[in-house]
Amino acid sequence: MYAVRNIRLCTKDCLCLYVCPTGATDTETGQIDRNKCISGCRVCVDACPSHAISLVPERYPQQQEKKAAVLAAMRVLSISKVKQEQLFAQLERTAPNESARRLAKAMRRSCRLMAEDILRESGYMLPQSDNVQTLLSSELDSVKDEAYPKDAAKKLLELLKQ
Amino acid sequence: MAKYVCSICGYTYDEALGRPEDGIAPGTPWQSLPESWVCPLCGAPKYVFEGQNKPEPKSIPTAGSAEAPEETLRELSVGEMAALCTNLAKGCEKQYRTEESALFLQLAAYYESRIPQEDPKDFSALIALMEQELKEDYPAAKETAAANQDRGSLRALVWGEKVSRILTSLLGKYEKQGDAMLDGTNVYVCEICGFVYIGEEPPEICPVCKVPSLKISKIAKEAV
Repeated sequence: MYAVRNIRLCTKDCLCLYVCPTGATDTETGQIDRNKCISGCRVCVDACPSHAISLVPERYPQQQEKKAAVLAAMRVLSISKVKQEQLFAQLERTAPNESARRLAKAMRRSCRLMAEDILRESGYMLPQSDNVQTLLSSELDSVKDEAYPKDAAKKLLELLKQ
Repeated sequence: MAKYVCSICGYTYDEALGRPEDGIAPGTPWQSLPESWVCPLCGAPKYVFEGQNKPEPKSIPTAGSAEAPEETLRELSVGEMAALCTNLAKGCEKQYRTEESALFLQLAAYYESRIPQEDPKDFSALIALMEQELKEDYPAAKETAAANQDRGSLRALVWGEKVSRILTSLLGKYEKQGDAMLDGTNVYVCEICGFVYIGEEPPEICPVCKVPSLKISKIAKEAV
């Protein structure tokens, strides 16, 4: 568990700088230096008067299992939401004026958000989960397209291993 | 005197109280409100309101609660992969994993570029598509999620259904009013659930997912 700072809440009280035994909280980027942070130490978390620091786990539990019937029902919706997103994207491109374009853009984004939500609840919530890693590996093996960013996928798999 | 509840955001119209701040006197019956009246909180149309003592809707027996048909579990389309990757990028960002987040976005951009073109449709065809989905797919999926006690899926479905209903009603309104509907006003999207709002200022909290307005973004007008 290492410390992270929520910049939106941080009011620069600097107590975290006073209590940190390694200087990890004092950086030019506003974020806490993960390499210096002592896992589970939490003195900065407790000292911060604006509750801007929290601990993020290094390891996460296995995700809850999803039932096949639920996955099938959710799949119907992820397919339709993605389709609607594409149709709104087309309307956005071909809209005759600014108003129609703005409305189509809002709805395109809305459909993407709903598709994302359906998919994350279909067993792909946690980036580090086995499900996600299995999916990424199988894509890496099966996609033969030259434009596929192989290196990005490989690097990602390496970083996601818990 | 009866009460009517907005099925989108939960706002209650109480006939006894009316809504004096909008010029609706106490004691104004529901039927007397014009058809053009909209929910003062979320802008939903009158027809999505339900009488407070309305009986539970009958459950709709459908496919989907039975065994999963094989074909629906086949591999994800490129469009779905794009959405999956943009969502995982957000998941990494929340954990302050910026490198992973950027890599997921790179994958998303690839899948995005491979999405095949759909046959173009106009706004009214989209209304029909969404109405069909609201009539069949959402109720079936909600029933399945509830039967399996999958609260997470049920949550996503309830939000998605509400947002889809809002989109459908906004599209219907746009069909009638045309561009005048957007003249001199703003369009907002909730970054969490996709709720779309048309008005001067966004609501203080999203009426669907209850996130504060700092997560509700304005769709910028193009420079003329």
